[in-house]
Amino acid sequence: MHISDGILAPEWCLVWFAIAIPFIAVGVWQIKRGTKENASYLPMLAMMGAAVFVIAVWHIPVPVTGSCSHPIGTPMSAIIVGPFPTVVLGAIALFFHAFFGHGGLTTLGANIVSMGIVGTFSGYLIYVLLRKVNSPLWLAAGMAGFTGDILCYLAAALELALSLNPGSVLSHWALYSVGYMPTQLPLALAEFVFSAGIVQYIADRMPDLLAKKLWGGVSSA
Amino acid sequence: MLDRFTKTALVLMVVITAIFLTGAYIGYIGGHGMEGTDAMVEEHAASTAANVEATSLVPAITDLVGEPLGFTIAGIVAGFIVGYLWTGLFRRREDA
Repeated sequence: MHISDGILAPEWCLVWFAIAIPFIAVGVWQIKRGTKENASYLPMLAMMGAAVFVIAVWHIPVPVTGSCSHPIGTPMSAIIVGPFPTVVLGAIALFFHAFFGHGGLTTLGANIVSMGIVGTFSGYLIYVLLRKVNSPLWLAAGMAGFTGDILCYLAAALELALSLNPGSVLSHWALYSVGYMPTQLPLALAEFVFSAGIVQYIADRMPDLLAKKLWGGVSSA
Repeated sequence: MLDRFTKTALVLMVVITAIFLTGAYIGYIGGHGMEGTDAMVEEHAASTAANVEATSLVPAITDLVGEPLGFTIAGIVAGFIVGYLWTGLFRRREDA
């Protein structure tokens, strides 16, 4: 889902930055609040940042398709440290990805929207909904990882279609999505497994570290 | 003697490495270049519009030292951070 410099039209780069910035601002505010309330929050945040950085640039070969791609890690992070702080972590990770030949600076806003916002919040929404119907924690976390991964790539495909094919957005959105999916589906299953495993592990060891207050106080864990 | 945490981490590392190597080997004998889908879709998308080409505004570390070494360095640095904080946060206390 990393979109390189030069691919998107300048006006679309600005649009994606404009969407991303308010999410980052709220995330920074929540991080400041979280560090005051819980001494373990900052090291957990740093660990999630490093994890998202490496997971989202970790190209895994998929033999069936003869290509490779990467999971995103942000749905798992959203469950552990909260969705808005995860947008900040995603933005930092994506900035450094540009120095590894993945993504770009002008397209940073678009990449934050797909991985940091759509991937994070779609996965988190699934997690909250499944927990509200008493789904097991591991299943809710796994489904969050799977859904966030797939929707992140659908968002990236939409970003490409909106900028490059304004006259035929829907057909090109479908085309680019089909291009991503054969490789991404097996990796979304991998995202299911590690999201479920890590969240369950943390819940068993230190349940107080899971983000409990979300979006105005809805209990998630 | 290795503690339980280290044993689990080592087993996980071996399993993950085995999955990567198996996938890469199957791709290799199948004659595939294992190109990244991000770049493939992006190239295809760029070809549908006029005068659009992927560029890079910043020098990529992977261009200087190669992808295997570049990502190894990134993985080691991130792994140390995650590993250090993980053990600090989750190590079972002796008196617990």
